[in-house]
Amino acid sequence: MAKIESGMEAMLDMYFFETNGLLEQLDEILLRTEQANAFEDDDIKEIFRIMHTIKGSSAMMGFDNLSVLAHKAEDMFFVIRENPDVITDVSFVYDLVFQVSDSYKAQIEALQNNINGEYEQMNFDELIDKLIKARDKLTSEASGEAQPEQSGTAAGTASIGAAPVQGGKTTVRVFFEDGSQMENLRAFLLVNTIREECSFLEYTPEDIESNAETAKEIIENGFVVSFTANDGKDDYVLKLIEGAMNVQSYEVLANAPQTDKKDSASAETPKAEIPPEPAKELKTEKTAQSKTAAKASAKSANKSDEKTSVEKAQAAVASANSGAAQKQSLISVNLAKLDALHDIVGEIITTESMVISNPDLEGLELESFNKAARDLKKLTGELQDTVMSIRMVPLAGVFQKMNRIVRDMRKKLGRDVDFVLEGEDTEVDKSIVDNLQDPLMHLVRNSMDHGIGEEDPEERTRLGKPEKGTIRLSAQNASGEVIITVSDDGAGIDPERIMAKAKKMGLLTKPESEYTDKEIQNMILLPGFSTNEVVTEFSGRGVGMDVVKSNIEKCGGQIIVDSKKGEGTNFIIKIPLTMAIIDGMEITVGGLVFTVPISTIRESFKVEPGQLLNDTGGKEMIMIRGVVYPILRLHEKFSIETEVTDLMDGILLLVETDNKSMCIFADKLIGEQQVVVKPFPKYLSRYNIKGEGLSGCTIMGDGSISLIIDTNLLIG
Amino acid sequence: MTNDVIREAVAKQQSGDRKLAADNSILGKVMTFNIGEQVYGIEIQYVTEIIGMQRITKVPHVPDYIKGIINVRSKVVPIVDIRTRFGKPEIPYTSRTCIITLSFNDISVGIIVDSVADVEDIHTGDISATPQNKNVNENEFIQYMIRGENDNTKLILDVAKLLDEQEA
Repeated sequence: MAKIESGMEAMLDMYFFETNGLLEQLDEILLRTEQANAFEDDDIKEIFRIMHTIKGSSAMMGFDNLSVLAHKAEDMFFVIRENPDVITDVSFVYDLVFQVSDSYKAQIEALQNNINGEYEQMNFDELIDKLIKARDKLTSEASGEAQPEQSGTAAGTASIGAAPVQGGKTTVRVFFEDGSQMENLRAFLLVNTIREECSFLEYTPEDIESNAETAKEIIENGFVVSFTANDGKDDYVLKLIEGAMNVQSYEVLANAPQTDKKDSASAETPKAEIPPEPAKELKTEKTAQSKTAAKASAKSANKSDEKTSVEKAQAAVASANSGAAQKQSLISVNLAKLDALHDIVGEIITTESMVISNPDLEGLELESFNKAARDLKKLTGELQDTVMSIRMVPLAGVFQKMNRIVRDMRKKLGRDVDFVLEGEDTEVDKSIVDNLQDPLMHLVRNSMDHGIGEEDPEERTRLGKPEKGTIRLSAQNASGEVIITVSDDGAGIDPERIMAKAKKMGLLTKPESEYTDKEIQNMILLPGFSTNEVVTEFSGRGVGMDVVKSNIEKCGGQIIVDSKKGEGTNFIIKIPLTMAIIDGMEITVGGLVFTVPISTIRESFKVEPGQLLNDTGGKEMIMIRGVVYPILRLHEKFSIETEVTDLMDGILLLVETDNKSMCIFADKLIGEQQVVVKPFPKYLSRYNIKGEGLSGCTIMGDGSISLIIDTNLLIG
Repeated sequence: MTNDVIREAVAKQQSGDRKLAADNSILGKVMTFNIGEQVYGIEIQYVTEIIGMQRITKVPHVPDYIKGIINVRSKVVPIVDIRTRFGKPEIPYTSRTCIITLSFNDISVGIIVDSVADVEDIHTGDISATPQNKNVNENEFIQYMIRGENDNTKLILDVAKLLDEQEA
């Protein structure tokens, strides 16, 4: 067991957040480029940058194994970056990098689960070994072909980087935003950003990349950078500093006099003056490598080093530029803060109506008060809407992760499939999105393994299906629910096999003949059920499906299996939008207020004599424009005492879902309102309220509670 | 308080060892309230807040003793009438009627009580176990008892059981 260095705990969250973000970015790049089957230059640089940043922050946090791992991966990409043509076996590189990414995730998970700072330090020696071998292999491949090109570009870039080191330098003191954390790394990024634009660069504290202690110094004294900009473009560099991430302010300590512009640069410029501390480290790292890499002269090795730092800066600038545009429009917020905000807004709205409809005001002429009240109401309404929308996030993030699963499975099973994503923009409450990841992962694996995997291409052709299987992951909004479907066109579920298995395991609760096909199919969701005789790496352990079921039920959803033997399987997940906002129509029955989703209401009307009919069983019906609809009295359905029992006195709502319609009878309409759907409290989950046609409740403007009707269930 | 702690406290008093029996350290605090003449208590760590009686929204298809749900600062909390739960006759709510909201394992419930009494310390020496003959409906929800002055016994509710009961 290793221990997290004391004093680092506070920064752990930040580290996790940043590193996980970077790893996700890495996966995304890898998946994208793997499909294109080629690394773009920018991608390589980006991967290099990611590895570099991870290396730096891991070293700072004292996670040596992670830092070394990233370092080796960085080394490998260094070679690739220098000689993009060396990759002959692309998939080999991909597998390696995916392994690195997975190892990282595993170790980070172990770190996140640390107990009192104790965590299990994983051993990456084997992987590191592989990386070193890969690097050596690549370097030896590169040494022959790429050499001339390399020295050529090196000379070219060197002349950019080496501007005259004349004239004065500008010194600025930079302060970072309060609480931005890891100030030393921020400083390092800043240095990287401006390095390319400077012919001379010096800063204190110096060892920012490797020494976390410098963060404190930077907080207290600021980060002092002295530089001489290329071509006297000091203003431009200052702008870069100003625009860099997390920089709060800077002050200019000493100004450079305008230098003479010399456009010809000498490649002979003594190198030591240019790249300061981190680059020196880089140099030592790379020397051993450059010896084997390019058997060039010492001079050109030097140049290539220089190129490294220059190019690194370029990459950093490029990514900072492209990243800045996206990053500035997104911030990450602690979910607890959002919850608190949401609660406060709820209270404000409640309090607002308490003030506006205060009994003390009754009977008073309050013209200007009423106007102010109206304005307030409008604003609080907007506030509420905005807060609601904050918590909603698109499913795209989770969906994208499934790409990775499919990729791995494709490789392992050696079967190609089309993976189709639909409706990624569908927005769901953040907490639900988090809960969905594992179940979806299981389901996608299942579709691959049990669905597509069980039919070989010949059999598919015989059945008239395209040789390549398709897995479809789709999401859609439907009347207050999000419906997520995982479907495949594979073998489908064989009811007979399920039945036989269930019988063997003693899972039957009633005579065999009484089971419908649907019931049989849904038995695969029972704990311990797995028909796969062979346990593969991905499925067949029988732990998957019941976990999927319980995970989905945890967030109030349900899962249905719909399969046809030989045609494929659909897993349909219905998730309520806990925080969803629906347009509702408020109606009263007795003393209770109900909300009916407006999307399901066709019309509301008063009954006219002569419209009513009774069927032979005494059931009430109504004829509207020649069509007969059944009538459901809400007060009877929910056993509520009310004075309005004559259909003529109350109001009828014609509701419709899935092509089924009926009329529901209530006392009267109150009006339309946007409401936030809240689930029923946990304590009540043991009672079958949902099954009786109530999907949740909502808090109305005056603080009272209204029950939301699930039109679907009411009709069904 | 865990059952072990209670058992230990009871055992100390019955051990006959005077030194042990004299141990009167404070084990925690209870909030006491009245239902009719009887004083009940709830260990303070389960109590979220005490609020006045308010309009309760009825929920269909639940047992009688669940009176409905209320809005406590944007949280929807179910309300249980302790009287009905314990099979006592209902009485009209008065200005002294209170709702005590409890939470246990993420489950929140408000209970309706006749009136809230006091907050007091639990002394080891006052704890006694519930009688074994459980003919009374409410007994299953009593975790232990505290002997007060004048033989005024307070019944301490088992919040875990009350909130987490597994019945359909």
